[in-house]
Amino acid sequence: MTSITSARLDKSIRIANWAAAIAIMVSLLVIFFYAPVERTMGNVQRIFYFHVGSAWVGAVALFVALISGMLYLRQNDRKWDTVSLASVEIGLVFLTMATVAGSVWGKPAWNTWWLWSPRLTLITIAWLTYAAYFMLRGAIEDEERRARFAAVYVIVAFVTIIMAYISVRILRDIHPVVIGSTLESAQGASEGLQEFSGLDSAKMGITLLISTSAFSLLYVAWLLNRIRLQQLADAVKNLKIQVTAHLQGEHAS
Amino acid sequence: MNEQTAAARPSESETRLFFTAVWAIVWKDLRIERHTRQTISVMAMFSVVTVVMFNFALEANMDAARNVSTGLLWATILLAGTLGLNRSLAIERENQTMDAMLMAPIHRNAIYLGKVISITLFTLALEAILVLLFIIFFDKPLWRPMVLLVLVLGTIGYVAAGVIVTSMTIQSRSREVLLPVLLLPLSLPLVLPAATAVAMYMFPQPPTWGEVQSAVYIVIIYDLLMVTAGFLTYHFVVES
Repeated sequence: MTSITSARLDKSIRIANWAAAIAIMVSLLVIFFYAPVERTMGNVQRIFYFHVGSAWVGAVALFVALISGMLYLRQNDRKWDTVSLASVEIGLVFLTMATVAGSVWGKPAWNTWWLWSPRLTLITIAWLTYAAYFMLRGAIEDEERRARFAAVYVIVAFVTIIMAYISVRILRDIHPVVIGSTLESAQGASEGLQEFSGLDSAKMGITLLISTSAFSLLYVAWLLNRIRLQQLADAVKNLKIQVTAHLQGEHAS
Repeated sequence: MNEQTAAARPSESETRLFFTAVWAIVWKDLRIERHTRQTISVMAMFSVVTVVMFNFALEANMDAARNVSTGLLWATILLAGTLGLNRSLAIERENQTMDAMLMAPIHRNAIYLGKVISITLFTLALEAILVLLFIIFFDKPLWRPMVLLVLVLGTIGYVAAGVIVTSMTIQSRSREVLLPVLLLPLSLPLVLPAATAVAMYMFPQPPTWGEVQSAVYIVIIYDLLMVTAGFLTYHFVVES
């Protein structure tokens, strides 16, 4: 507990922060100077690396939240609740980033900021579901129960992510599919919609790999910082309780 | 009397015990409803008011109302469903029957399944009323068997999610407000394909199975996922 309350950052957190910062710089350089200009979309296509990177991390973060929620229910250890909370927060931020980046890409590609296509609708639903997670936490005072309910909710909420994944592979959608295969009917080409031709060259693949890794490092750094923040908040709370108890003891004697 | 066979096949008697408990809970809820008529009457009143209100929102434009009638139907079911869920689980808390059920030597999941079945039955009763109203008001062929099947499948998934979420929100400070905020986004991945499937049957010429099968499959997948999630987590929600 004493090491947590020190104002200095842990060595591992400092390393993670620097690694993430450098990785993001490298990925920016690679995206703008190494990746080739895409044939049909031009420079706009560079948004794709941010979009895929943050969408990937969003999914990973919510999956981590699911796993740590399960571990909390199994072991009843508070640290898993902290990991779960931190991961949902960061996952929501990355989902928002992916949506904004996608929207910026959608304006030139689809000529509109937003479409109610199945995938976009389902992402919005998943976003709302995870935003409601904080409402649930805010409404329950008892700490142990709050952690337990939050863990249950994270498990139930993951159904929306699974549904989003299944639906876009079954339903007809305008959104391009980069990873995994789709049924033929799911591709928008038959409707004369914008078709993304996938990764044209190896350079694009390498850039995507670098940007995705950089975003993953950023996630790890944020997660470590957020967990430390939560531990500090808990430590402050404990100190407050101690001080109150101490003062009351003095008053009584 | 059949102790020996019961001992030899414990799994079978356990299963029977489980379903006896489920049936007892469903029967209890149905009997309460028969005496008080609270849940369904409140849901039905609310639905009629909502349908009239939608009519006002659409400025009595009958064509517009007809076009969006399947969406209106699902929206009404969802909103009335939150009332039914709140009502049915609040009764358990007010009368402390939930504590009694937790003390009873039955599996927690029997309570979950019992509540899901009884609230599904209430919601289906409400849907029967609503479908009649919509046929009269909007002149849509909602009586088609496939439409009714999709309504039943959709209701199961919605209630399966609803029982879990309501069991949590009812133990919180802002329960009435919190329930729709948590439950509606959670149930939308189910309602979107279900509403799409129902909408396809609203044309004079019903669609082929190939056209609706993907939507129906998504509804079934959601049902399975949600019931599984409910079975895995329900005992964490009710124990305190």
